[in-house]
Amino acid sequence: MRVNRALFGLWALFWALMIAVEVQDNHDATGIRWWEPFVWEGSSCLVATFWLLLERRVSTRWNEYLAEPWRWFAKHLLWMPVICVTFIISVYAIRLGVYSLTSETYEHEPWSFIFFYESLKLVLFAGLWLGIIFGLESFKRWKLEREKLLTLQKHLAESQLAQLKAQLQPHFLFNTLNTISSLMQVDVERADRLLTRLADLLRSSLQASARDLTSLREELKLLGLYAEIMQERFAGRVTIGWNIASDANEAQVPAMLLQPLLENAFKHGVERSRDPVSIRITAETRGEELHVTITNSGSSLPEAPSDGIGMRNCRERLEVMYGARARLDLVHEGDGVAAKLTLPVKPA
Amino acid sequence: MRVLIVDDEPPARDKLRRWLAEQTDLSIVGECADGLEAAASITALTPDAVFLDIQMPGMSGLEVAAQLESAHAPLIVFVTAFDEHAIKAFELNAVDYLLKPYDKDRLQKTLVRLRGRRSEAPEAGATAIHTARAQTGSSERLLVPKGEALQLIDASSIHWLEADDNYVHVHTAQARYMIRRTLADLLSQLGERFTRIHKSVAVNIAEVKSLSPLFKGDHEVHMRSGAVLRMSRRYKDELFGKMGA
Repeated sequence: MRVNRALFGLWALFWALMIAVEVQDNHDATGIRWWEPFVWEGSSCLVATFWLLLERRVSTRWNEYLAEPWRWFAKHLLWMPVICVTFIISVYAIRLGVYSLTSETYEHEPWSFIFFYESLKLVLFAGLWLGIIFGLESFKRWKLEREKLLTLQKHLAESQLAQLKAQLQPHFLFNTLNTISSLMQVDVERADRLLTRLADLLRSSLQASARDLTSLREELKLLGLYAEIMQERFAGRVTIGWNIASDANEAQVPAMLLQPLLENAFKHGVERSRDPVSIRITAETRGEELHVTITNSGSSLPEAPSDGIGMRNCRERLEVMYGARARLDLVHEGDGVAAKLTLPVKPA
Repeated sequence: MRVLIVDDEPPARDKLRRWLAEQTDLSIVGECADGLEAAASITALTPDAVFLDIQMPGMSGLEVAAQLESAHAPLIVFVTAFDEHAIKAFELNAVDYLLKPYDKDRLQKTLVRLRGRRSEAPEAGATAIHTARAQTGSSERLLVPKGEALQLIDASSIHWLEADDNYVHVHTAQARYMIRRTLADLLSQLGERFTRIHKSVAVNIAEVKSLSPLFKGDHEVHMRSGAVLRMSRRYKDELFGKMGA
C-alpha cells in the first residue's frame, strides 16, 4: 500500500532526526554516556511505533469519516488518555530497565512533572502525525473516487452505444420481419399493424438517449408494442398480464429501461421453454419509491448468474442516474424468475 | 421429396408450409415446434429434407443436427435470423441455409440446390451434420430412445458403448439403451470423453477404474461399475495416452 510506504518512510525520517538532535544536544554534556540519548529516544520510538502500527490496523474502520475531518480526528483523539498513560509507563519502564543493567542511574524529573510534560508532547506529536495520516488517506480516497468517476463516465459512453445495439437486437429485428413477411400472405391488415408497431419501436429506440426520463405511462406504451410483436411471434406460447397501479403512471423512469428486462423474460422464459409461459408486469408506488416487477414462469437463474448486455446496461444507467437510490435484482419467484426494479419517484 | 418443417415460431412455420405446398414435387410430412420433437420426427418419419430453425427451446437446430447419424442423415437446410458464426461455417462447408426474412426467389434457389444435391451429392447430409457438430462442440447430452419417445441423457452418465450390428448399446448406471447408430459416428459426436478399447467397444475414460494385463499386450479394463471389458492391443496406446499414463 502506497499510503503505508509513504507514512513509514516519513516516520523513519522523523525518528532519525529526533535521535540525531538528542545525540547532538548531549554531545559535549558531562556525565552522560554516548549510549544514553539512544536509550531515551529509542524507547520512545519503540512504543510510538507500536501505537502507529495499531492505528494502521484499526483505523480503516474510521475511513468512512474521512469526509468529516472533525469526527475522524475525534475518533482517534478519544484514545489519547489511554495512549498517554500506557506510553509513559512503557517508555519509562524500558528506560529504567536498561539503566538497571548498567552502573548508571537514570536521573529524571519528578513523576508529576513527567506526566504533565510527556502528555503535552504526546498530544502535540499525535496531532502532527494524525494530520499527516489524514492527508495521506484523504489523498488516496480522492484518487480512488476520481478513478471511479472516470470509469463510470467511460462506461456510460459505452453503455449508450451498447444500448442502441441491444435495442436493435438483430435476432429480434429479423425474426419480426420474417413474421411480418409470413402474416402478409394471409392477413394484410395484421401484417401492416405489426410493421407499424416495429417502426414505432425502432423510432423510440433511436430517439431515447441514456439520460432521458419519461413517464411510466409512455414507457409502458413502448413495452406494450414490444409485447404485442412478441405475442404474435410466439402465438400460443405466452400470456402477458399487466397490473399497473394508476398512481404509478406518472412516475418518471429512464427511457427504454424496461424493454431489455421484458426481452430477458422472453429470451430465458418463452424462447427456451416448450410449455406455455406467463409473463406478469406489475408497477406500484410505495412511499417515495416506484416498484416495477417483470416476472416470467418456466425458467430459473443459473447458479452463478452473470449479466448479459441488457442487464449490464440497465444497472449502469441506474448507477449513473440514481447511485444507491435505485436497485435492480433478479430473484426466483414461484416457478420462474422476477426482475425487481426499485426507483425513487422523484428523479433528482 | 418428403420434407419436414421445424421452427418454434408459428408464423415462420406458416410461411414455409404455404410456399413449400406450392411445389408439386414436395410433400410436407410433418411440422415440429422444438428440437426434441424434431429429432424424434426425423427418426420416425425419415424425411428426405429438413428445414431446421436454429434458435429453438430445449435443443437448438445445430444440436439436433449434431445428434443425427451422419451416414443416413436427411438433407438439412438451416434456417436462421442471425447467427454470424454458424453462417460462416455454412458458407465454408457449402451447407444449405436460409436467412430470415427470405422471399420466394430465395427459397426457390434453395429448393433447386436441394434437388440437385439429392441426385448428385448424397453425402451433403453428412457434411451438414459434421458442420453442426463442429459448431456445437462435443455433445454434452445424447438422445436415446425411451419407449416410443426420445430422451436426452448426460454424456457423462454413460459408462461404455458397445456396437452390435447396426446398433450401439449405451450402458449407464441405471439402464441400457439401444440406438441405431454406428459406433464411429457416435464417437465423432461425443468427442474426447470416450475412447475405443476394442473394434466394437468404447469406454468413458472417467469410468475406468483399473487395467490388468493379459497375454500378448491385451488388457482387461475394470470399470467403476464393476464391468470388466477386454481391450485389444491395437487400442492400447490411445487409451494410455488419454488417461495420461
